Formats: sequence, structure tokens, C-alpha cells
Amino acid sequence: MSELELSIGPQHPGSGHFRLIVHVDGDIIVRATPDPGYVHRGIEKQAEYREYLQNIPLLERPVISDSNGSVYGYVLAVEKLAGVEIPQRAQYIRVMMAELNRIMSHLYWLAIYGIFLGHSTMFMWPFGDREVLIDLAQRVMGTRLTYSFFVPGGVRTDLPDGFKDDALRAITFLESRLPEYDAIFINNPLFTQRTKGVGVLRSEDAIRLGVVGPTLRGSGINADVRKDEPYDAYDQMDFDIPSFQEGDCYSRSLVRIEEIKQSTRIIRQILEAIPSGPFRAKQPALLKPPKGSVYSRVEAARGTYAYFITSKGAKAPYRLKISSPSFRNLPAFPFLMKGSHLADMPTIYWSLDYWPLEADR
Amino acid sequence: MTLRYPESKLDLPPGYRYPSSGYKGRHVLNMAKCIGDAICELACRNITGAIKMVKAEGEFPRNRRLTFPQLDYGLCVFCGFCVDACAFGALTMSSDYELSVYEKGALTYTPQMLASPPIDRGNSRFVVAKSQAYHVQA
Amino acid sequence: MLAFPEPLMDALRVLIFPGLGFSLMFVLFMVWYERKLLAKVQVRVGPLYAGRFEGILQPIADFIKLLLKEIIVPRQADRLLFLLAPTMMMGLSVSLLALIPLSPSFAITDSSVGVLIALALLSLSPLAIVIAAWASNNKFSLIGGLRALHQMTSYAIPLSFSILGVVIMAGSLSLVSIVESQRNTWFVLLQPIGAVVFFLATLAELERVPFDIPEAETEIVMGWETEYSGINYGIIMTAAYVKFYALAVIFTELFLGGWLGPAPIPPPLWTIIKTFLVVTLMMIPRGVYPRLRIDQMFKLGWTWLLPLSLVNIAVVLVEVEVLG
Repeated sequence: MSELELSIGPQHPGSGHFRLIVHVDGDIIVRATPDPGYVHRGIEKQAEYREYLQNIPLLERPVISDSNGSVYGYVLAVEKLAGVEIPQRAQYIRVMMAELNRIMSHLYWLAIYGIFLGHSTMFMWPFGDREVLIDLAQRVMGTRLTYSFFVPGGVRTDLPDGFKDDALRAITFLESRLPEYDAIFINNPLFTQRTKGVGVLRSEDAIRLGVVGPTLRGSGINADVRKDEPYDAYDQMDFDIPSFQEGDCYSRSLVRIEEIKQSTRIIRQILEAIPSGPFRAKQPALLKPPKGSVYSRVEAARGTYAYFITSKGAKAPYRLKISSPSFRNLPAFPFLMKGSHLADMPTIYWSLDYWPLEADR
Repeated sequence: MTLRYPESKLDLPPGYRYPSSGYKGRHVLNMAKCIGDAICELACRNITGAIKMVKAEGEFPRNRRLTFPQLDYGLCVFCGFCVDACAFGALTMSSDYELSVYEKGALTYTPQMLASPPIDRGNSRFVVAKSQAYHVQA
Repeated sequence: MLAFPEPLMDALRVLIFPGLGFSLMFVLFMVWYERKLLAKVQVRVGPLYAGRFEGILQPIADFIKLLLKEIIVPRQADRLLFLLAPTMMMGLSVSLLALIPLSPSFAITDSSVGVLIALALLSLSPLAIVIAAWASNNKFSLIGGLRALHQMTSYAIPLSFSILGVVIMAGSLSLVSIVESQRNTWFVLLQPIGAVVFFLATLAELERVPFDIPEAETEIVMGWETEYSGINYGIIMTAAYVKFYALAVIFTELFLGGWLGPAPIPPPLWTIIKTFLVVTLMMIPRGVYPRLRIDQMFKLGWTWLLPLSLVNIAVVLVEVEVLG
């Protein structure tokens, strides 16, 4: 039986900006080769021409649905390099905004999973509920998605008046929607039929391929940078890291839904315990860190972000290397898709939460 | 949860002035306070280069060189670092977001255009109740 | 009734009511209704601005838009077959309209083998789809067309068997007599399994969610309809909705007692009301379920629906023996 070569290419409603070359024999995928690079814009090179503060609007653009999570890593790296001490209030605000962004990114993921599976309501409801969080973020940071809020030294502005009530109302609203999502989306018999047993990634394969984030935690390995190397105020927060044993698409979905619940827990703790004080350490706008290199890791919504910055004492970094979780999850594509049905291709693709913009940088 | 734009428009918080939080919309230039030191242009130069200093006519005692910032909204990403940079509070942002035009040249706002006060058109609020979120016409 | 000459009455029945004119208007209403229904499920509003009342003219606006768009025929496509396939589908759907009476006095024909002809016409639709898919000269269309072929032929068998149960109980293949024999009880109460099997098999024949595998957008970009644009696509969509309306009326007349109902409402209006309820029921899964995978669809059709339809026939035979 001859093979058919399909190019699920960049101009395709089911692939984002990413080409996947799939060889299909009847309905079974024989070989799937990812071909990233469609949206490569040279972010790392462009970062060498901008000062440390001016890099922040640049670096939050590739990762648009979770911009706070990725800029967090950059800001921590610069602070480590320059030896800056962050005030307590700034740490708490940063953790809260990062967790808010994690919830927004996971809701976006759930919505696009609905499109990939053909469930239009699973697309509409999370996007509508995400609007509540975007409104809250807009109240604090001024824009809906590209905040430029984290700076080396703390955060740019303080929380507005009445933020605690608004945030508590938004979190209560979100927590009241999660049981409905469970009832209609996660416990939907067709959803479990489509995702259980599909794309099984065992834990030894997960470690061998080097995947990160909820993909890793869905295969039974309980690894999270927030608990392994806590940064900012995470060591004072009380939360769990969900992980499931089976390693199929269903357990990866459950990991993300559980992470939403844990994030609401963290936000409630922060709203109770946030200290008063300065929100930004005094730092010159033209930051010139001393010579040296630094490496920092954070846990964004999709996985582990790592930054490696080399500075030669100038006002722009000499080399900025970004390690994004989508790029780290790429080896899982050909491994998981071999031998599965053609209809499992979008299911597996989106359960790995691959974001072409941040993989190509 | 649908907002029927353009009949209803969201009532937004006031604009962004460092260091208090606010909505990042169109910039507002207070020409009486601006001294023309071009720090805003320096802050924006490597981000997008949307600010250029141009000459303006008029009687401005604090601005000897009579240079004021001109903003190109085709390039601006609304990050607000120019507002942070202005030490005199001359450049702030408002909650005006309806900046669409029919030709690209009209996106460049001269200092006089930036000095005009923003129009507040909001007439509906977004209400988050316990288990539903909706808009009310204010 | 007014004494019009018979050919004029026939022409009025074919063209206005219950034929083309009424059906096309009902189809336009169905398109608007589906969009509004799904919008309410999905916490949004649906069409709003086209037409004074909540966007009621939106389907007409869409139709005019499709008329004004360019019909793109791919260069290496088989031009004649590419342009012919939608017309075939439209012909099949519209001929189905001739077989469904809305009431004994408002029937275009009352053939004594009406149900059998309807089934035969439905079985021709995979042919039109495969012609459309092959003529498009596109790998994705080919996959989609073959999926549609597999799906429609798999589900034609439970469909026929559930109709067989009704025919045994009614003792005739003509739709008018089937409805007449439901004077005492509707068949949905006597053979509920058959009704469910027919319902699911109809969803599969119409390629509606959860069975919209042939046009699974995220893998194969609209499947066999990928290369169709402009009024070509409009004809395919209209044919699909006309088939939807026809099958909903057939369901009403086979299981829900067609035009039978108490006096003040005239019989054709009863048919329309019941069809409207059936159409609503068939549209709701679109907001609730994701898509099935093709091997799961096969499993459902062959290992569940087919045995259930045979069980249904056994139950019908027992009932006919016992109840007479």
C-alpha cells in the first residue's frame, strides 16, 4: 500500500504557523516530521541591539498568551547579574501576575483544543471566561495582553485601589466555572474517547526526549521549577504540583485543569498576605550590569523557560539565549505520532501545547 | 457576555501616568510642561522608534528649543516606557483607543494633535458576579 | 377548495407549497435558527444586524455574498465534474422533497414505494461526494471524500433496518399509509430503539457533529469541500440543508405521527411543528460534542447500531404478533 505525503503546512486551519510533514498509509501515520522555522524573526539577535530595559517589550511578544511567565525569567536573570534586591511587595505582585497569566494561557489552550477536536462550545466558553481575567489584568497593567510590567527591580506600577475585591470576584467566578467545564468538556464521553490512550508518553521516554512542562507532569514525573528551585515568593506559597501517571492526552489535559485550580489557590493566598512597601527597587534606567554570565529558569504555563545572558559591561547584552518549552517539546512530535491515526494528529499536537512563535523565536 | 460594539463601549479606567496604574491608550502631551529634552525619544529609540522630535510654533517658556515629540502610531506598541521616562509628567497616556484611520500618513500625530484632550466615549460597564459576567449599559 | 385545473394545482404544489418555495424558505429559516440556537448555548448572540429582527435576513445576506464571489476552479481539476458535482447533490436533495407529503391533501406525490425511493436517493449521495472529491485534484479532498463514502455507506444499513421496522408495523412503504397507521399510538413509543437508531444514522448521513468527520477542519481543511468557493459552495450547503429538512420530515412521519394531532391546528402545520422540534434536537449535539474519530465511528455503526436495529426488528415482529 503506497503512502500519501500530506503537508499540514503553515496555511492550514489546524496547524498554527508550523509545518508538519505527515506520511500516511490509509489512516495510520507512518512518519511525522515537524518543520519549524516559519516565524523565525531573530529575536535573540535583535536583543543584542536593545538595552536591558528595552528588551522587555521585545521578549514578551513571541509568547503572547503567557507574556508575564517568559519575561519573568529574563528579569530574574538581569537581577541576578546586576545583584539587585527585590522588595517583598514586588515579589508578591510578580507571583500573582504570573499565576494570573498561567490561568489565562491554560484557558486559551482549552479553547483551541476545542477547535482541534471539533467542539465549538469548548472554544467559546473558555475565551469568554478569559475576558474576565483580561479585564482584571487591564485594570492593573494597562493593556490586555502585552504588559511590559515586570522590570529588573520589581514591577512598574502599584496595584490600583479596590484591586483585592475585583480579584476575589474574578477568582470566585472562575472557580464557579470549573465544575461546569468538568461536566461538559472533560467528562464528555466523546472527549474521553478521543483522548484516552492516545499519544501515550511513558515516563522513561519523557525523560529521554527531554520534554518539559505539563507534558512531563502528565507522564508521571513530578518536576516543577517552582518547587525545585523556588524564585521570588514561591517558597512561601502552599500549593501542589499535579501529575498523572498514564501519559496520554487525557492526563495532560487533566494536569492543566488542575494547575488552574492550584493557581487560584496561590492567588488567594497572595491576596490575603500581600505586604505593603515599595514595589520597585531603585535602579538606573540605563542598566549596565558587570561582566559575567548568568542562567535562570522559571516555570511558565507551557513549561520551563531558561535564559542565559552574557554581559560585557555594555548597555545591551552581548548574548541572550532563550530556551523555550515548545522547542524542548519538539522531539515528542515524531515519537508520539508514529503509528497513530490521522485524526489523532491534532489531538496530540495540541496536547503538547506547542506554540510556534516561541519555538521559532 | 457579548459587548455590542459600537453601540456600547467599555468604560475604561483613566489613563496611565507613572507610577500609578491606568489604561495605555493614546498619548496626551502637556505642552506647557514639556521642556524638549528628548528623553522620551531616547527611551523609544531602540524599542520601535515611534517618537521623533519636531519643531512647533507657539509661546512655550519652558521649551527653549521649541522641540516636542511627534508620535507615529503605526510603530508604537503602547509599552509606556516613554511615559516612565518623562521626569516632568508632560507625556501621559489616556484611555482613547479608537485610532483607526484610512491612510497611513494620518497615523502620525503632531504635538498639537497629541495635546488635544482625550474623548471619553465609554457607556457600559463589565460586571463580574458570582457565576456570570455581563455588560450593563451605564 | 377552489376549483383550479389539476395541472395548475400540481404546479403550485411543486413550486410553492409544499415543494420548492416553502422548503427553501424553511431552509433559510433553519440556517438562521441553527446559528441563533448555537449562539445561545455558547453564551453569545449570533446574527444580529442583518434585518430588523435579530439578524433574520442573515442567510439571505450570506447567499448574496456567495453569489458575488468568484468560482475558483483549480487548474488541474477535472472541470466538468468539478462543476457538476454540486448540481448532482442539489438534484438529489430536491428530488427527496417530492416524496415527503406534509399532509394527505398537500402532497406532491404519494408513491406506494415512497420510503424505498427516498432510501435509494440517499444512497446516491456518496457518489456525488466522491465525484466532487476526486475532481478537486487535492489530497485533502480525496481523504475527505473517501471518509464520507465510508461513513455514509456504513450508516445506510442501520438506517434501512430501522425503516424496515416501521414498514413491518405499518404494512406499507407509502408515507401516507405509515402515518395513517399511527392513529392509535405513535411509533416512537412502540419502537424507541428504532427511533434512536434512525436519529443517529440520520446525523451520520447528514455529516453533522459528532459525525462531521469528512469535513474535519483541523486535519483536512473542509475535506471534500476544500476547493469549492462562491455559489458552488452555496449550492452544496443548500443541498445539505434541504436534505436535513427532508430527513427531519421523514423522521416525523415515520415515528412521530406526521400530521396527526388534535383539531384546531391544521394537519400540515402539525407536521411543520413536529419537524421543527426534530430539527432542534438534531442541532443540539453540535454544541455539546466534539468530533468522533473514524474508527470510533465505524465501531459505533457496525457494532452498536446494526445489532440494535436487528433487535428492534425482533421487537417489532413480537409486537405485531401480540398486538395485531
